[in-house]
Amino acid sequence: MSTPTSPTRRRVLSTAAWLAASSIPGVAFARSISGALPWDANSAAPPPKLQLNGWFFFTSAEVETVTAIVDRLIPADALSPSGAECGVVVYIDRQMIGPFGRSSRLYTQGPFFLGTPRQGWQSPDTPAQRWRAGVAALERWVAANRTGRRFAALAAEEKDAVLKDVEAGKIDLGAGVDAKAFFALVLQNTMEGFFADPAYGGNKDMASWRMLGFPGARYDYRDHVDKHGQRYPLPPVSITGRPEWAGKVD
Amino acid sequence: MNPATFLLALAAAALAPTAAFAGDVDQADRIGRGAYQAVLGDCAGCHTAPGGAPFAGGAPIATPFGTLIPPNITPDRDTGIGDWSLDDFRSAMTRGVGHDGIRLYPAMPYPNYAKMPEPDIDDLWAFLGTIAPVKNDVDANQLPFPFSIRTLMIGWNLLEFTPKPFAPDAAQSAEWNRGAYLVQGPAHCGACHTPKTIFGGDDAGKALTGASLQGWWAPDITAAPTTGVGSWSKEELVAYLATGVNGHTIASGPMAEAIAASTSKMTPEDLGAIATYLKTLGPSDAARPTPLAASDPAMKHGAAIYVDNCSACHGGRGEGSKDLFPALASSPIVAQADATTLARMVVIGSQGVHTAAKPTTPAMPSLGWRLDDAAVADVLTFVRNSWGNAAARVTPGTVAKLRN
Ligand code: HEC
Ligand code: HEC
Ligand code: HEC
Repeated sequence: MSTPTSPTRRRVLSTAAWLAASSIPGVAFARSISGALPWDANSAAPPPKLQLNGWFFFTSAEVETVTAIVDRLIPADALSPSGAECGVVVYIDRQMIGPFGRSSRLYTQGPFFLGTPRQGWQSPDTPAQRWRAGVAALERWVAANRTGRRFAALAAEEKDAVLKDVEAGKIDLGAGVDAKAFFALVLQNTMEGFFADPAYGGNKDMASWRMLGFPGARYDYRDHVDKHGQRYPLPPVSITGRPEWAGKVD
Repeated sequence: MNPATFLLALAAAALAPTAAFAGDVDQADRIGRGAYQAVLGDCAGCHTAPGGAPFAGGAPIATPFGTLIPPNITPDRDTGIGDWSLDDFRSAMTRGVGHDGIRLYPAMPYPNYAKMPEPDIDDLWAFLGTIAPVKNDVDANQLPFPFSIRTLMIGWNLLEFTPKPFAPDAAQSAEWNRGAYLVQGPAHCGACHTPKTIFGGDDAGKALTGASLQGWWAPDITAAPTTGVGSWSKEELVAYLATGVNGHTIASGPMAEAIAASTSKMTPEDLGAIATYLKTLGPSDAARPTPLAASDPAMKHGAAIYVDNCSACHGGRGEGSKDLFPALASSPIVAQADATTLARMVVIGSQGVHTAAKPTTPAMPSLGWRLDDAAVADVLTFVRNSWGNAAARVTPGTVAKLRN
């Protein structure tokens, strides 16, 4: 409740808006809308249509390395197909040419200091640059330290050992690549590809969602809230649908 | 605003600049009555462009023969009807013959206005004379050859149109007769809701049983129990016409415009009369189809698509949510012979009507990016054959027509 002496919420808001408007040149003033709410026919913001074939960022050599890494982080087992089989490499490739890979929605000007872990990545380098530099540095390290082989040619246990050392920062990848930070980026993007909506290229056939029993892109559970202790009956659905829509499941 | 204050306000607005009328009570009354005739006939609905000056020319109307633009009917002498006489106007309204003998196309609903008694037309003329003149040159006739030849309408009028005043039915109540007059006459409900003959005239034998309309379907509004408004009470019908929303549905598209500009401004008595009349028509859907079996592939796909895309708003059993999301169960809109409106809702989306009584304007999102033509057809086939609905299946071809 506002008293006569305290400014009302509306007045505070309008003062703030006035201050902002008067101090920033060219600012857009709030519109007041009367009558029907604004609405446009055909308006929707669908995810960009996924290009299924080809590589847009990674070279074929990089694809080989990234596939080998991703398939160690998510190996094929009783729970799910491998990360690469689920499209995780496709997902990362497509992300690298988008806003995430280019940091186009991040402030990337200096000054740059070594921050605390909670302050996040502190460098002008974009994820795309970091993947490229990280994969190259890893291959150089493997060639120098594992008898000239490429990472993909290592045995599974050897790959795991190398990745564990990269994760722990025990390996100096050189060329200014921070091993620990590189591993964190790889793991983050791998998990995203595995769990994100298949619309973005990974999580093929909603494999991770089926594994977890996650219902996917649904937002209304009113018909189920009272059914305590019962399994949710519906299969997952992606932004782009599920096989039952087109009748593949007859 | 109630209709009485609305009329007073209109009359006052009309009077303000023309001091000559001050004190002329008869003239003020007649302008007020004429303003109400303009509401009944929804003249502003067609003759005003979105965001444009009232009566100064409207948005293009697509007819099966081509496009017509409702012209400027403000009293501007060069671009409006300022140089028309009362006789010109009477003749345009009742015979479709305008100033200088110009033949009007029946997209201007003169076949309906012809039922209006002369005093009402004269009142309307008095009102139109008080509108501020606006300079706006509109070339009404955008029809391709040969339809662009106005004298063709002489033949059309011979074939399709006999001007005759409304003939009351002595066996019916005064209220019923008032409703019949409004529906057939000035309110021209049949212009949208009655199927047309191949010449574009009303198919009188099928009056108000539903017709296709500029990418929409104007539904059956007879008292047919499943496709018509037979299951609605008189009060529900009046609520729909007065506000655009009732417990069953929310008006959109051309009907939303007709409600906002016309029926929501009619008196409760006139709306009651329209409802009384409509409830005695039909029923036309005696042969009701049996719903498709749940095992039909389209029904199976449709059920999956429905639960994933529609149930959040329209409910798991099509029950909807009062005043916000229309019910799809036992819905006349859903059961129409033609599924154009349904396909349009899903592909393009739609915003509900805006009236003073129902200002919320809930909107249905466009799902055309997510569902291909076959998926839209399947989900609509499912909706049309579930929860008390039974109607023909929808084909992908119907859906394809709504994509641009
Ligand atoms: C359904 C849409 C529609 C409605 C409703 C409508 N008109 Fe029209 N009107 C038209 C069209 C279209 C034309 C142009 C016809 C033509 O040029 O052949 C027209 C033409 C006219 C003309 C002839 C103007 C000229 O310059 O030749 C007059 C006058 C007119 N309308 C008055 C009215 C009045 C008064 C009302 C309300 C009672 C009304 N109209 C309602 C669509 C409409
Ligand atoms: C401009 C064309 C047009 C005119 C004029 C028009 N209607 Fe409609 N009407 C429609 C359309 C289109 C719909 C479907 C609306 C929707 O899908 O929400 C409709 C819907 C309706 C409905 C709802 C039916 C249902 O089952 O939901 C009723 C009732 C109705 N109209 C009555 C009338 C009456 C009475 C008049 C005359 C006073 C009239 N209409 C004039 C186009 C029109
Ligand atoms: C976000 C909520 C929402 C979703 C999701 C949604 N609708 Fe709607 N729907 C609405 C609203 C709101 C209206 C009323 C809009 C109007 O009148 O213009 C509506 C209107 C309709 C109508 C017209 C009903 C009538 O009585 O006028 C049909 C049919 C329809 N929706 C079908 C569907 C189908 C099929 C789906 C799924 C493919 C769907 N809707 C998904 C909100 C939704």
